[in-house]
Amino acid sequence: MSLLEIRGLTVTMGVQEILHGVDLDVAERGIVAVLGSNGVGKTTLMRAISGIYKPKAGTIRFKGEDISKLKSHEIVARGLLQAPEGRQIFSSMSVRENLVIGGGAHGLSELERILVLFPKLGERMSQIAGSLSGGEQQMLCIARALMAKPSILLLDEPSLGLAPKFVKGIFDLVSQIRDEGLSILIVEQNAKAALRIADRAAVMESGRIALEGRAVDLAGDPRIVEAYLGGHVHTV
Amino acid sequence: MFDPYYLQQLAIGLSQGVIYALMAIGFTLIFGVLNVVNFAHGEVYTVGAFAGLLLITAFAPPFLVVLFVVLAVGAALGFGLERIAFKPFRRFSDEASLKSRAMRESTLMSSLAVSIVAREGLEIAFGSQMQTLPFEYLINKPIAIGPVTIVTGDVIIFVVAALMLGGLQYLLTKTRVGLSIRAVSANPLGAKYVGIDTDRTIVTTFAIGSMMGAGAGILVGLYYGAIFPAMGFVPGIKAFVAMVMGGLSSIPGAVICALLLGLSEGLATTFISSNWADMVAYGFLIVTLIFFPQGLFGAGRERV
Repeated sequence: MSLLEIRGLTVTMGVQEILHGVDLDVAERGIVAVLGSNGVGKTTLMRAISGIYKPKAGTIRFKGEDISKLKSHEIVARGLLQAPEGRQIFSSMSVRENLVIGGGAHGLSELERILVLFPKLGERMSQIAGSLSGGEQQMLCIARALMAKPSILLLDEPSLGLAPKFVKGIFDLVSQIRDEGLSILIVEQNAKAALRIADRAAVMESGRIALEGRAVDLAGDPRIVEAYLGGHVHTV
Repeated sequence: MFDPYYLQQLAIGLSQGVIYALMAIGFTLIFGVLNVVNFAHGEVYTVGAFAGLLLITAFAPPFLVVLFVVLAVGAALGFGLERIAFKPFRRFSDEASLKSRAMRESTLMSSLAVSIVAREGLEIAFGSQMQTLPFEYLINKPIAIGPVTIVTGDVIIFVVAALMLGGLQYLLTKTRVGLSIRAVSANPLGAKYVGIDTDRTIVTTFAIGSMMGAGAGILVGLYYGAIFPAMGFVPGIKAFVAMVMGGLSSIPGAVICALLLGLSEGLATTFISSNWADMVAYGFLIVTLIFFPQGLFGAGRERV
């Protein structure tokens, strides 16, 4: 059984249907990448999983329990955390306060472990979060989610707007977090980097999953290479 | 030689200022989490005073008991107010609608409606005249400090307000509830992603803000010996001015501006009639709006 199991997920915004029956699985200790261009519904999918949007139909099973009707704070309490698009950190508060809030009921029990992963944040604990650089804010966003001891982490466009040297750092971190035992669902425009660390991947097109498979297979699939990796397939 | 009369006026102004500060904090906290102005805040102050009055006439308990019961009533009022006038309009949970203009305008009307109903209800029940309070409860026994004479109320108001402000500061920086309130103020969507129950945080904010408003109401009632249904209007407006001057969402800003307002009104009564002293507050508001459209402490967050 998968840790996260999405079946027939349909989400509407007003009269418009954004997701038309999405099926997706995230296995225990796996990284699943969702690829696709702007506006195909990737962020809507992520928000629906975290309970920000209420699905119109379909189920989202997490550890066997249907969480599709739960409120966002109830979903977080069950161990499903997200580092959302746009980071959504508390920019007027200090780095420490961001992490304390992220810890919720766990308080600062994870702090030491997390500062090993993010040594930069340790140096900036009393700084106002809004004064961090973009890359550091993204780190804070991920660290804040990890403070709540999640069993699955959702990452929505973690590399968006970052300098290339930070992008590599973020992806290295993601595979490091997986190695520590977490499952990860990542939405990315940077298909090349995402496919490198992912076990499985899905391609979204206009509110549906168009392709799904092992990341290594998709990385060699001519349709993916053409559309997302920006090149032609070279037959060897 | 400096006229001690001015010192006395300063003491009175300071009491007035901390009362405005207690009121302004309620406004500011609620504005922070929802970006809306709670127009029923003045009535929370009035109902708090009336709750104290009823308690005194019925049971004549000690002063501290009166104060604590009024604070509890204030919290309950805040809870009820949020459920009646604010929650029903919060049907969508994304960030755009949580702090949207439509939310702001509809809750502006609904809180104004609650305030009118509360004020008129009190007038029907008690009449619009001032209520008489038992003499022994009034906090206006004179205390002479050198050439200056202040009253017990000045000390009590100052101490109670200082305790409440200190308590609030502790709550907002050291407790999970307080951090949740600040998190929702800073970024309501982000708060959802870290597992904060935003609905519960919002209602808690109303309870805390209203507690301070109701506390201010009974203190002023006992200070001036005047409790009447329309008593919340002027302090409500003054606290609103302090919030706007302070930059809408800055608590320290609101407190400093409230003290400034109280002190300048206290001094103004030395030179002009006390009826005209209200002009000082409105003058400050106009000057702020023209020259500091983001408030004195707004740090460029939003135009007033």
